[in-house]
Amino acid sequence: MTNNQSSEPDILYKIRKLVVEYHTRGVVVTAVDHVDLDIQRGEVLGLVGESGCGKSTLGKALMRMIEPPGEIVGGELWFDGTELLSLPEREIREYRGSKISMIFQDPMTSLNPVQRVDEHIIETIKVHEPETKKSAALERAQALFERLGIQKRRLNDYPHQLSGGMRQRTMVSLGLALNADLIIADEATTSLDVIVEAKLVDQLEEIRKEFWVTILLITHNIALVAQIADRIAVMYAGKIVEIGYVNDVFLNPLHPYTQGLLQSVPNIKFDEREDLFKMPGEPPSLSDPPQGCRFHPRCPHVMPICTQVEPQLLENSPDQLVDCWLYQNLPEGYESTIEVEK
Amino acid sequence: MNISSPNTTAQTSKLVDENIGFVRRIWRGRIWYGTEWYITVIGGLILLGVTMMTILAPVLAPYDPNEFIGAPFTPPGRGQQALVSRTGENPVPSASEITDEVVGVQRNQNGVNLAKELNYEYERYQNQEELLTALENGEVDLIFINQELVPEVLGAYPNLGVVDEKLGRSYRLGTDNLGRDISSRIVWGARTILGVALASALLSSFVGIPLGLISGFAGGKVDRTLSLVMDSIYSFPGLLLAIALAAMLGPGLLNVAVAISVIYIPTFYRVVRGQVLSIKESLYVDAARSLGAKSSNILRRYIFPNVIPSVVVVFSLNIADAIITAAGLAFIGLGLPPDIPDWGYDLSKGHSFLVAGQWWMITFPGIMITLVAAGFSLFGEGLSEILNPRLVK
Repeated sequence: MTNNQSSEPDILYKIRKLVVEYHTRGVVVTAVDHVDLDIQRGEVLGLVGESGCGKSTLGKALMRMIEPPGEIVGGELWFDGTELLSLPEREIREYRGSKISMIFQDPMTSLNPVQRVDEHIIETIKVHEPETKKSAALERAQALFERLGIQKRRLNDYPHQLSGGMRQRTMVSLGLALNADLIIADEATTSLDVIVEAKLVDQLEEIRKEFWVTILLITHNIALVAQIADRIAVMYAGKIVEIGYVNDVFLNPLHPYTQGLLQSVPNIKFDEREDLFKMPGEPPSLSDPPQGCRFHPRCPHVMPICTQVEPQLLENSPDQLVDCWLYQNLPEGYESTIEVEK
Repeated sequence: MNISSPNTTAQTSKLVDENIGFVRRIWRGRIWYGTEWYITVIGGLILLGVTMMTILAPVLAPYDPNEFIGAPFTPPGRGQQALVSRTGENPVPSASEITDEVVGVQRNQNGVNLAKELNYEYERYQNQEELLTALENGEVDLIFINQELVPEVLGAYPNLGVVDEKLGRSYRLGTDNLGRDISSRIVWGARTILGVALASALLSSFVGIPLGLISGFAGGKVDRTLSLVMDSIYSFPGLLLAIALAAMLGPGLLNVAVAISVIYIPTFYRVVRGQVLSIKESLYVDAARSLGAKSSNILRRYIFPNVIPSVVVVFSLNIADAIITAAGLAFIGLGLPPDIPDWGYDLSKGHSFLVAGQWWMITFPGIMITLVAAGFSLFGEGLSEILNPRLVK
């Protein structure tokens, strides 16, 4: 890394036109639809959106872990200069764990109940570095555990003997065991209570600074994103609708969905007793998304064009991209006023 | 009052944490598992008993199970003889002299003329009464009568006296139609039936478990094909298939085990496949994959160990089934060669003599089959409720 800020950011993971579909009983569900996303090296990118908008599918697709009936239908995944989709399965396995690793939502079930914790870590190391001796791997596991603030002797425990926080930290240590460049945290803190969550978040921050890892934080917890993310990507119905630096997006949300999402965050100040903003309508069915902009049935600023033509994810201000006609030049023949359809 | 609450916490923590031995830990299990615990332990004790029986068969069995050792149809607990003579006379051959020579020779309820064994010139006496009369008249000097008839005989013939009694062998569970000791056959038969049941359960698990693992893990065409094959085997009536196979393969320990194992392969297959399908979706398998583990490794280290609890249960229940099937095969004469002591064979033989009043031939093997099958069933059911409480609901 160079010290001087170059105008071209160092991009670790370049996602282009990624499409992931699920085929079930003749119905095609497009969970991720032509997503373009750049993950910069060393940043924390928060990926937020409602449940079922395709966040987790996107996270899994980044590791090429989509299982049937799901399928990556198209697009390109450039990780550190390598196109992952063209690699054979054997080589992609090398990337999993050693270059990209994942922390899952539910720490209670993400560890093998019949393996001791140290076996998990040793196995992970041995899979990617078969020449490593077991004792050396164990030492690394111990160092990791101490770094994450778990007693060394807990390495001998089975997962059910650990608390939720400890298990999640164990998962983090699995990700760190091989110095992965990118850690995908898929709702990693959701099932933890707030205090444990805060601790884990602190540790993620520290780890990022210490190991210079990039973190993709998939969550629906906006406050968490505000606290530790550098940039935020908002996902709606399989598409990224807005990307930008956290401060910019939070101060000046452009997409109507982002605006609604930010207003929906509960406020802890009780004396302000405002009614919580509820976004009207329901998220669309991904098997049959609405024509045009996918948000138009719920959008307060809907225009005629929104119902017919899909907008593009384009740069509005520097470093803030938005997928909305409000900020883009309309094609000819469309008015920005609302008309009654004939 | 103050003391009570720390006391109870101390007790609960004692239950959980205390470093106690294996046996005491099992004993403590009754507190958590209640009814299931008792069921499992009862089943376990029965199994332990039968296992001890198989291991200690040479010690426990009084006689060779195949030897025609005594009189046919000796009732349980009987078989000993008494030597009777006229009171006041000192018979020529002493009791100790003839005992070695005589005891063990087949003799029936009517008694055999002692003279025969002593190489005396003898006359044939038709029944015990004639024999006793002959003794009374001085035609013979000594006769054997059954031990339990002594008081009755002495009552009827006051001038006769017992020279020696409790001679020869007694049979705890009686003898069968060929004079073989039933208790010995029971003890040795335990070996046979456990061997057949274990061998068949092992065989079917060796085939069924890997197939289930592959089928569930691979999915797609492999899964569909294997499922079809297994379902068609499963749709046969079990005993009928076993009969057909046993008839085809002929008698023999291994053949019977193979015939039985075929009908239980689908049971293992189905349970394992179902488990794999659900475990495959679990987060820790995803997590393992996200860490770069190979498919074979995931199957071996993540899926298989988590399938084992249900396999153990199925295994135990299958043994119970296999015992009954093995007995069934033997009952219709498709079982083992006749020189191997077998409960099912004894059961079928005893069946024909039940009408004649020889109830002991069928009763004891029947009890044992029921007991052992029940033991495995109880053990398996209890275990399944302890290992996987969700199965019950």
